[in-house]
Amino acid sequence: MAAPARAATSPSDTVVELSGVSKIYRQRIRAPRLSEALRTFFRPSMRLVEALKTVDLTIRRGEVVAYAGPNGAGKSTTIKLLSGLLAPDAGTVRVLGLDPVHDRVGYVGRIGVVFGQRTELWWDHPVAESFEWKRVVWNIPRERYERMLGLVRELLALDEIMLTLVRELSLGQRMRADLALALMHEPEILLLDEPTLGLDVLARRRILAFIRDLNRERGVSVVVTSHDMAELEQLAGRIVMLHQGQIAFDGHFAELRRLATRGRVLTLETASAVAPRLNGAELISSAESRHEYAFDAATIKLSHLLEQAAAQTEVLDVETHRPPIDQVVADLYEHWQRAAPSRSVPH
Amino acid sequence: MRALGLAGYLKTAAMTAGVVWDSPLFLIDFALRVLRVLVLLGLWRSILGAGESAAGVSLAAVLTYTVIAEVFSEQLAVRTTLPEAFWEGTLVMRFLRPMGLIRQLSAEMLGRWFIHFTFFSVPLFLLAPLLGVDPRPASAVNGALFALSLALSVLVGLAMEQLFGAATVAFEQPVWIVDYVRTAVSTVLSGSLLPLALYPWGLGDIFSYLPFAAMAWAPLAIFTGVGQPLPLLVSQLIWLAILWPLGTWLWNANREKLISYGG
Amino acid sequence: MAADSVWRRLFRLWALYGSMDLLWLARGPRIAVPFILSDFVTGIATITATFLLAERFNGIGPWAKPQVLFLLGYSLLVRGLIDVLFNFNMAQVSRRIGRGQLDHLLIQPQPLWMAFLTEGFAPFSGAGMLLPGLGLTVYSVAELQLSVSGTWVALFALYLVGSIAIVLSFEYAWASVAFWAPRAAEEINSDTWRLITQLAPFPLEGIAGWALAGLLTILPVGLVAWYPARVLLRMAGPPWAPLVLPVAALIASAFATWIFTRGLNQYGRTGSSRYLSLGHRR
Repeated sequence: MAAPARAATSPSDTVVELSGVSKIYRQRIRAPRLSEALRTFFRPSMRLVEALKTVDLTIRRGEVVAYAGPNGAGKSTTIKLLSGLLAPDAGTVRVLGLDPVHDRVGYVGRIGVVFGQRTELWWDHPVAESFEWKRVVWNIPRERYERMLGLVRELLALDEIMLTLVRELSLGQRMRADLALALMHEPEILLLDEPTLGLDVLARRRILAFIRDLNRERGVSVVVTSHDMAELEQLAGRIVMLHQGQIAFDGHFAELRRLATRGRVLTLETASAVAPRLNGAELISSAESRHEYAFDAATIKLSHLLEQAAAQTEVLDVETHRPPIDQVVADLYEHWQRAAPSRSVPH
Repeated sequence: MRALGLAGYLKTAAMTAGVVWDSPLFLIDFALRVLRVLVLLGLWRSILGAGESAAGVSLAAVLTYTVIAEVFSEQLAVRTTLPEAFWEGTLVMRFLRPMGLIRQLSAEMLGRWFIHFTFFSVPLFLLAPLLGVDPRPASAVNGALFALSLALSVLVGLAMEQLFGAATVAFEQPVWIVDYVRTAVSTVLSGSLLPLALYPWGLGDIFSYLPFAAMAWAPLAIFTGVGQPLPLLVSQLIWLAILWPLGTWLWNANREKLISYGG
Repeated sequence: MAADSVWRRLFRLWALYGSMDLLWLARGPRIAVPFILSDFVTGIATITATFLLAERFNGIGPWAKPQVLFLLGYSLLVRGLIDVLFNFNMAQVSRRIGRGQLDHLLIQPQPLWMAFLTEGFAPFSGAGMLLPGLGLTVYSVAELQLSVSGTWVALFALYLVGSIAIVLSFEYAWASVAFWAPRAAEEINSDTWRLITQLAPFPLEGIAGWALAGLLTILPVGLVAWYPARVLLRMAGPPWAPLVLPVAALIASAFATWIFTRGLNQYGRTGSSRYLSLGHRR
């Protein structure tokens, strides 16, 4: 059983196709009282949690897609569906033209998966031994193995840790080794579930740069989940945001900012210590002659605010800025949470 | 404050009982253990005929010994959640609680015992006559002395737990290796499976001087009347006097290592 | 995959895991010695009670002392072979399922059965029981002056395979519970394994008929060593007695495969919401 050859498909091919995918988990409800616990001992009460609700998603070859959402939004469920670890309750999942569950053996030979919280490395062996293990189990041709090993050793600086026991690696070293291991069979698509979880800035930067290069130079499609929006923005042009099991946004980061962050912050430095009253803007802070306002750029023009200020006092300096992407997304999550009801139902 | 301490102790015990209770699967383990008793009873019946005895141990006594060993198996081979805490690397969290470590471990042990006693020990005790076994002690005095001896065996067991825990860390051995070896060795040496009096080549006499015997053989021999209560109780007290200070010393000597061990 | 390529791959994987096992042990005596010693001690402990009783009473019931030794040798061989072939929680697979570690196997590009059959291969670290088992068996056969023909040896080998199949079927059938209750059943194979290893070396003649029937069917402890040893030692039994173990092994394997497949389907629906990185040597 040789490792499958790279599919001869054009770069514009669809690599991931989720159609009407739903996934429901059953969750046991714990009884708080003894009498209830006795009653439900053999027949526990359950509730259903809809992890994904009729999700449609298409990813094209060579795309890097950031997959984001608050905790419990369904990100990991999607990665597990794409890895073939889970089957959908409704709808279809096709990746690289295959059904990940039914075509598992052939399929997993063409994808790479990294779960930030677990490791494929062999705990009690030196790192190099896990690579040799991968070569045999994945049946990677020697030429490809040597080529990929050379590549990852150089780009992920593995030489220093190849002979170290995995259990003795730092988290950053382990993640680098895990990422390298996932690439040894030259996967066509890389599924990364929080690959930088817990890493320091330097380790994080190294991993992100590597993923970017991998995509640009080798055309590997990447689906990456993370809670760090700035990091996702560095990696991906496209972001898919989940909320309560549904796609709440699918587009470019720039679009997300436009859509979700019409809010701006205006800072005025005036001759007076008294902050001018501006209709259509909310005063956030005022210290000596510096005053900060928040306003919605879609409903009020900046020039109108400046006119109001100039009418009341002498304006010495003006600054406006958009809030950082993390702030934008946090606001968005908050907004969604206020707007949407819970998605678990007793059963 | 003392009342508050007791409340915390009992709450910890209740929480642990709740964890066991959380799934009916613990009943499977209990069912398998009943099966083990059945096999052992059958074994004895195929060795000794009705009314027969060996080394002063009658068939009736050895059957009682077998059932009572299983009824009180948790107390005769004291195990706490210490190995699990090592295994999961969570021991350090226990040092952050306002309760002594041994108190925490014994509270959790008590919680487990509650479930074990309710769903296994009592039913097996009541089932014994149906299996042709008289589960009563040899006499009322033996019964009373058994209670005392059982309490001592629990204390010896806790001291051993502390000692093995500290030794695991001191000698930097994988916790499961120590656990397996300890379980295997104590099953043979403690007399929890076979009465030491029935071991060949005088092995039982030698084993009865070891600390493991203070955990199971002593109370079981008193209960069934196959051993002299006084020397057995004295041996338990001696081992208690040796093991507690030793365990505490080793524990304290390795406290720093203990905190960083696990995972 | 063609049959020859399946075998080629199996041998390649066994060679890989065998060499990894050796490398692991070669790290030094501080790891190797306690590991092998602990396996040896726990294995010997399981047969000690029966051995001591046989010594003390010069046999157990209808079993003469050398016959008891054969029974013990056989049970050690079964256990030893499982330790060699299905180590690292491949026999106690409920731990892998309950800890969410099955995902590691599912992302390997090979059928799951192939991973089960090869990843637990530990010819060095798992061999602690094989030599004592073999020694006891050979010694008892010599003591009993059994006429050992080629047919007998073939039957002995077939029975070992049958007994291993019984143990693994029992383990995998119970482990399937962990697909539905991962946390609660994570250690269920510890209970079943303990039951098997503790009870397998005992002669079962003194047990009530209904209990014995249970031990030969639902909880097939009697088929692990006691029944095969009786047949191999030509102790009294019906003419069809030699067929019991192979047939039972086939039925048990079919049942375990059925229930485990159902469990896998369940796993495909629910996955595992828990994951523990500890508990295996990956």
